[in-house]
Parts: sequence; C-alpha cells; structure tokens
Amino acid sequence: MKKIWLGFCVLFLLWPHWTQAQEDAFRYLEPIEKKYAGLKDYTADGVVHFDIETFKAPDMGVKLYYKAPDKMKVESKRILFFPREGGFFNPSLFKKEGFEIKFLERFTYEGARAVKLQLTPQKPKRNTKEWVVTIDTDHNLIREIGITQYDGREIKAVIHYGTFDGFELPFHIRLTLDLPSFETEGPKEFDQWVQKPKRVTGTIDIRYSNYKVNRGLRDELFVNPEGEK
Amino acid sequence: MLFWFEIFKTFRRWRTYISFTVIALIVILTEVVMKLSAGEVVHRMLRPFQRDFLITGNILNAWFVTAFIMNSLHIHIPFLITLVAGDMVSSEATSGTIRFLLIRPPSRGRIITAKYLTALFYTAILVIFFALVCVLLGVPLFGSGDLIIHHYGKFDIAFIPESEIPLRLFFAFAAAIWSMSVVASIAFLFSTLAENSIGPIIGTMAVVIVFLVLGNLPLDFFRNMKPYLFTTYMINLWQQFLNLRIPWPEIGRSAIILGLHNVGLFLIAFFVFKRKDIKS
Repeated sequence: MKKIWLGFCVLFLLWPHWTQAQEDAFRYLEPIEKKYAGLKDYTADGVVHFDIETFKAPDMGVKLYYKAPDKMKVESKRILFFPREGGFFNPSLFKKEGFEIKFLERFTYEGARAVKLQLTPQKPKRNTKEWVVTIDTDHNLIREIGITQYDGREIKAVIHYGTFDGFELPFHIRLTLDLPSFETEGPKEFDQWVQKPKRVTGTIDIRYSNYKVNRGLRDELFVNPEGEK
Repeated sequence: MLFWFEIFKTFRRWRTYISFTVIALIVILTEVVMKLSAGEVVHRMLRPFQRDFLITGNILNAWFVTAFIMNSLHIHIPFLITLVAGDMVSSEATSGTIRFLLIRPPSRGRIITAKYLTALFYTAILVIFFALVCVLLGVPLFGSGDLIIHHYGKFDIAFIPESEIPLRLFFAFAAAIWSMSVVASIAFLFSTLAENSIGPIIGTMAVVIVFLVLGNLPLDFFRNMKPYLFTTYMINLWQQFLNLRIPWPEIGRSAIILGLHNVGLFLIAFFVFKRKDIKS
C-alpha cells in the first residue's frame, strides 16, 4: 500500500513538469503556425530528381498546387511519380492540435538555434507513427522532418528555403528514403523465392521555383485529380 | 529464283496464315482486355509504388502494352514459327514431291538453302506483322508516352523517354527476329530429318520448352547450365533494348552466339539433306 502511495506521489510531483514540457514544445510550433497563417494557397513549378538504385527515371517536371489547410494536387505533362510524404511544403501539417509533442533536444543547426521535437499523432494519419521535426527557432522554419511509419518505412526530408512573394518557402527538398522491400500477392518469378528481399534506399531531390502565392485557388481544382493513381 | 519459288509455295498454303491470324487474335484480345481493365492493370503494376508516390500520366500507353505483349514472345511465337519452318522439307516427303524436286536441275545445296532462307523470311515477316499489329492497334487505343519497364512485385522501375522508344522498339523487334531465327533453324533441321511435319513441330517446341524451364530453375546446377542454353540469349537479346542503358557488348555476344547456332544448325541440315536417301 505504501508503494502505491509513493507511486502516486511521484506521479503527482512529475505531472506539472510533464505538462510544462508539452507546453514548451508547443511554443516552438506556434510561431511557425502564425508565420504562415497568411499563406492560403500557392502554386510552384518543380523538378524531381531520383537517385535510387532500383528507380531509374529521368528528371520529372511537376506543377504543384496547394491550398490550406490540406489540399494538394500535382500535374505533369509526362508520367510523374511524386513522393507522398515530405515532398512539398504544408505549413498546416504540424498544427499543435492532434499531436503529442515531446521535446528531444536543443542544438545549433547551420549556425542557427534549433530544437528537435517528436510529434506523435493522436489519431493515426495515414501510416505515420511519428515525426521528428527540427525547427530553426531563430527563423521559425522547419528544417528537417524525419518520418517513421508503422511498416518500417523511414523518410527524412531536409528543406532549404528562399523568399517568394513575402513567404519563406522551400526551393529545395531532399528526401532520403529507407523503405522495406515489397511483396505482392501476385505470381513470383523463380528468382524472387530464393533472393532475400533488400531494403530500398536512395534520395529524391525536388527543386521548386516560380512560386505564386495567394492567387485564390478554387476548391474544384483539387477535386478528383485527373489520372492520379 | 528458287528462293522466290519457295516463298510462293509457302505463302500459297493456307497453313501459313494460321500464324498471322493467331497473332492478330492474341494482340487484339490482349489490347482490348487491357483497355477495358486498364485500372486493374495499372493498379497491379504500380502497387509497390502507390504507397509512397502520387502517380500521374499515361502509364498504360501503346509502348508499355507492346513491351508487355512482347514478353510472351518466347512462348507463342516459336510455336507459330515451327508450324511453317518445321514443314519446309518434311512436307515434300509427306506429299511425295521430294523426288520430283531433287531430279530437277538445281542442286540439293541450292534447294535446301532456298528453303532455309524462306523459313527465315517467314520468321521475319511473322515478327514484323506482330510488331505492326501491336503498334498500329496500340497507339490509337492507348496513346503514347514514356515507357515504364518494371519487375512485377518489386520496387524496380526504369523509364525510357518517349523520344527514344520508336528506335529502341525497332532494334528490339529486329533482335526478336534474330532470336526467333534459331527456333526456325531447329525446326528446319528437324524437318530435314523427318518424313512428316508433326515430329519437327513437337520436337522443336519440346526443345524450346525444356530449355526455358531448365534455364529458370532456381538451382545452382541449372544456373551453371544457363550459359549453354540458347534460350538464355534468345530472350535476353531483344529485352536488352528496353533497358535504360543498352548493353551493346552483351547484345553483340548474344547475337553472335545465336548466329553461330543458326550457322551450325543450317550446316547440319545442309549435310543431312545432301545425303538424304530418296530412293527408298
């Protein structure tokens, strides 16, 4: 009985610290939310470059449409493979509601003060287990996003910003992929039975230009993307 | 002259057109079904990628469909080739015309060469017909675009730009003709050995199927045997033109090995025919 009481006491004493830590973590996200509150929509031209051993593709041109809070569409004149996670800038992605946030560390990132936060979605968002976000607190920018998914996928995005129409938006995103091997229920080639599946690793570089911000994109633009699989 | 006479004889027979009809049927059926179930085809193909990528564009285009159908080339085309190549000499024996043929002025050597060239000509025409049906039907049905080459069920994909595709397909079909000429040579050799047409057709198909199976068994013994099977080079040859980087040395090596097979098989057929006893 004494031990249970002791446990309660410890919990009681630690609770304010834990909630304080949550509050502290939130305050790093709030300035970013405020900074991009005026960003209603944008379009940008992009070039996607793949450096994955098993994905031999030429650079792909893309036209990206974004509308806050979560509408996104890509268009291309040719065949396009556009990364679903981390490939474009969505300032609404890390609104503090809906996350459990854990402060991980404070450090210097490219000469600026930075913090690393772990964000765990309270409701499952697609397949994502957690995000680890590096925030440049001097400039209120998300510099890196580490995405861990339930099935062992790991994606890291490193973001470089430029100023476009008064907003700091990415001109370069580098995604580093570490994905599990793929199995399908279909017929296998003989070789597939004897080969040990390998993880897929590599990088994807996306360079953005020609941003057009707050041009009043209509919702209909994002309905039923043509030809999207 | 003899060659054109053999061509005339071959293309006068209705049996010759079975192959063209079968190819047209296969291609038309495949393309129509692929068009009707395009969503399913694309979904199955892109399944390993859909989780990580948004995918747009005309993936199921004429070039993809052509490459897809070409993948079955080593199964149904050899059979259709043997129908005619396996009948070139044996049909003369079956119909009893071989004696009339050999008592005429042209030498046995010229006759067998003309017949062999006819078998090769038929093989080439069949593959060209196959290519034309694939492309002429595919382009209006599926449109154009970059060609995606992927390995089923794997995160393994290569893009070939649309601008490069016509030339690559031209080379691929030329390589397919060269590959299939070995099948024609085997059927032709068997045809000189047999007195009826069934034996050469079944014999050739047996050789092709057994070699294909042995070459694909996942055991070291059979893996070691693979370089000695002509089917290894037969399939590899044309498929290499649809790789991102065309491996010319490997293609050259495969083409030479297949060419040597052709020469060897023809020489055997030549000497067998030269020594053929038509008196009994």
